[in-house]
Amino acid sequence: MKFMEVVKLIDTTRCTACRGCQVACKQWNEQPGKRTRNLGSYQNPPDLQSNTWTLIRFQEHVDAGGTLKWLFRKDGCMHCTDAACVKVCPSGALYRTPYGTVGLKAHLCIGCKECMAACPFDIPRYDKATDKILKCDLCLSRLQADQLPACIKSCPTGALTLGAKDDMIKKAYARAKALGGDANVYGDKFVGGTHVIYVLGEKPAVYDELPQNPTVPLSIIVWKDLLKPLSLIAAGGVLAGSFLHYITHGPKTPDDDVQGGDAGKGGK
Amino acid sequence: MKKGLIQVTDAFERIVHWSLAISCLILCITGLGMMFHSFNFVGTLMGSLKSLKYVHNYAGLFFIVALFFTIRMWWREAGVFSMPEDLQWMMCAGGYLWHVDKVPEVGKYNPGQKMFFLAVAVFGVVMVVTGLVMWFPLEFPVELVRWMYPLHALGFLTIFAFFFVHLYLGTIGSPGSAPAMFSGWVTRAWLMKQHPKWLKEMEHEGKLVVSGEEKSAGGH
Repeated sequence: MKFMEVVKLIDTTRCTACRGCQVACKQWNEQPGKRTRNLGSYQNPPDLQSNTWTLIRFQEHVDAGGTLKWLFRKDGCMHCTDAACVKVCPSGALYRTPYGTVGLKAHLCIGCKECMAACPFDIPRYDKATDKILKCDLCLSRLQADQLPACIKSCPTGALTLGAKDDMIKKAYARAKALGGDANVYGDKFVGGTHVIYVLGEKPAVYDELPQNPTVPLSIIVWKDLLKPLSLIAAGGVLAGSFLHYITHGPKTPDDDVQGGDAGKGGK
Repeated sequence: MKKGLIQVTDAFERIVHWSLAISCLILCITGLGMMFHSFNFVGTLMGSLKSLKYVHNYAGLFFIVALFFTIRMWWREAGVFSMPEDLQWMMCAGGYLWHVDKVPEVGKYNPGQKMFFLAVAVFGVVMVVTGLVMWFPLEFPVELVRWMYPLHALGFLTIFAFFFVHLYLGTIGSPGSAPAMFSGWVTRAWLMKQHPKWLKEMEHEGKLVVSGEEKSAGGH
């Protein structure tokens, strides 16, 4: 897997919500389990946390025909190609790796939380104790060692697989076609293509916390692609303009012979 | 002190001005350090980019105080345009850009200075509000927080560009201006050039403070 653009395929229809991936993630990344509260769901903890980078979302869904379906979706970083978090990160802590994934150099993170606002999937989480954000890096250290990410390694049903980007996208479409009905592929069509792709059993709108058309927010584009370069251009323009003014029009000086009186009107 | 110099600012005004100026400069420089990866080295000079974040945030608190006094102190004199002479002044750009035979006489502040004051006041407030939301983004809805960043950048763009205009016209672009903000005393010739209307009004009211002369009652 050396320097190959990879995709992690999550086939939600094969997931049994054993949460082995959740545990494996914590184990490999040495993230502690923290005391939690039972909110009447197997979904636990209730949301992603600074120490929980992947989470199986449990959802009871009644379809149009009145049939109850229990939907499981493994949530976590989607590893966007056009990653809003990388775009806003001031320190370079978040960066694109050669695998196409979004890595995190935690030692560079300054805890500004800009990525939290920018992320269209609401993934990065802030850890107050260290004043840093944390998120899934698709087990970069394991990819570099030619190993599967911990979540995939632990998955007993084959819901999680990893491979070359194009192959995995093809597999995803083949699987969705085989499933038929509302089954669809989610991820390859937006934010430049994500490096985590779902095969969803239901339409995307059905799933909790899953944006239907995720994009890099317009505000972030205006900020980083327009105003950021413009700020330096404007300042440079003013500097150049001032210099030009100085050497052409010249500075505004008092007339030498004037000491009060009514002269000196009109400036230069 | 040289005889005949005229006092145009008091110590309080100068302290407020420089408090705002210095905090604003620190904020611009540290802000650049976070905005551009190529300026990350500014953080290195401060120990780390995380230290720079703290310098930026706490300089912001200092800026809030300075901005408060700046607006309270100057909005009456510099925040209100007096028509029609200010409009006439603006129509001929105060004679700064092309030759003008007769520029309307300027009072305490010319419309250019007023625009600069208003830009700093309005965008200063924008910087404070957006900056505070950016400091505590988790306390606000994400849709709101997202728009704070471009607004903060817009405020930076405006203030940073205006800063260089201010720097030029306060120094080599208009010789004799800088002492107004250092010692507070300027020459009569400079005042006749820059603020003749104010000079005449002050003289008329007998409020002018001139070095070497006895202080008149109710001086500046």
